[in-house]
Amino acid sequence: MESNELERFEAIVLPHLDAAYTLARYLTRNDHDAEDVVQDAYLRALKYVGGFRGEEGGSARAWLLAIVRNTAYTWRRRHRTDALGTPFDEELHSDAIADEHPEASLLNGAVAESLGRALDRLPPEFREVVVLRELQGLSYNEISDVAGVPVGTVMSRLSRARRRLQDALCADEEH
Amino acid sequence: MSHRDFEAQLDAYLDGELAALDTRELETHLAQCPACAQFRDGRLALRAAIKARVPTFQAPDALRGRVQAALRSASPARDPGRIGAPAVWRALALAASLAVVALGSWQLALRRATGETLADDVLTSHIRSLMPGHLTDVPSSDQHTVKPWFNGKLDFSPPVYDFAGRGYPLIGGRLDYVGGRSVAALVYGRRQHLINVLLWPAARGPTAASETQTRQGYHLLSWATPEYVYWAVSDLGLAELRDFAHLLQQADSAAGRSGALKTAPAGPPPSS
Repeated sequence: MESNELERFEAIVLPHLDAAYTLARYLTRNDHDAEDVVQDAYLRALKYVGGFRGEEGGSARAWLLAIVRNTAYTWRRRHRTDALGTPFDEELHSDAIADEHPEASLLNGAVAESLGRALDRLPPEFREVVVLRELQGLSYNEISDVAGVPVGTVMSRLSRARRRLQDALCADEEH
Repeated sequence: MSHRDFEAQLDAYLDGELAALDTRELETHLAQCPACAQFRDGRLALRAAIKARVPTFQAPDALRGRVQAALRSASPARDPGRIGAPAVWRALALAASLAVVALGSWQLALRRATGETLADDVLTSHIRSLMPGHLTDVPSSDQHTVKPWFNGKLDFSPPVYDFAGRGYPLIGGRLDYVGGRSVAALVYGRRQHLINVLLWPAARGPTAASETQTRQGYHLLSWATPEYVYWAVSDLGLAELRDFAHLLQQADSAAGRSGALKTAPAGPPPSS
């Protein structure tokens, strides 16, 4: 391989280093782990760059973030089972349960959360849609690609995540 | 619709992700329902709070160095025996060329042609129009309402058609600013999708053939008639967007002059 080819690869992926780090940081909730995940993800990206399809709306950023996301989830399984936060459970996190016990999901311990802490407390599947949308401005389609779920699921997860953040925000402002 | 569904719809609306027809319905409802308007205000406050209080992170310089070092030591250059590298790098060459489309910072460097700047303006106009409240200045499916609305706002009277019979209903119009001049923006719908048509008077003569670009997942078509420069932009599939452009071109040549106000020729809706 010519060294300028590596430079071309770097030109595609390095501009998204901050975005990659931000996503990894919110998924791992830890600086050091986020750095490890990002480094690992970039090596995977180098390996899988042949699978990158840029046409029909695929952007380099969404492609890279999907790898970062998957790396973080693999890393969670490999290192600490609970590292990304509460394991996702459709039952536990379904609206029905949350509606019956709003106080449990919103104000655990009767302490008002700050917005950042509320975000950290969301299950990773909800946290990531907020980060991808609110902090990184991805479209629903791109989020669907990154998270590997249908657009409808992106839409409902985002809405449910926001509801919880909004409740935390209100609780925050009352104190 | 349940309240939960409605929340998700409103969120999608505020994200500029709601389908055209649902958007109109929702906007009508919001204007009449204080409870829903209050819900919207709450979400806007949340968005502002996230922006103000939830940080994005800058990758530490040390990480940048680590990543680059890792890439260099892992790159196939250090391993000449590795098989399959040429295919990988052919794909990479493709990726690199596509990255020109994907990476904003490259666009700046590569904006040599005016066309590129124009395409950027057109795309920006489209994306901005998808934000809440930016879609139309004159929301109407009636071409006889939309066309006269431009009187006195532009130095030309744009041709406005309604292709509802062909599956592309008129949604409205607005003023926009593209390529250093005020232009007419006409919004058409197609199922869940919106199409923005931007047009302004052609500087001079020759009819230009249609050109196609894809940026950030949006398709952009441009063409010129003797009277007007046209750009159509949408997240709609390219085949359908071309079909729509063809309808516009037909309607224009049938009208035969600028400022025509004609109903599109009747016919079966294009297959989708």
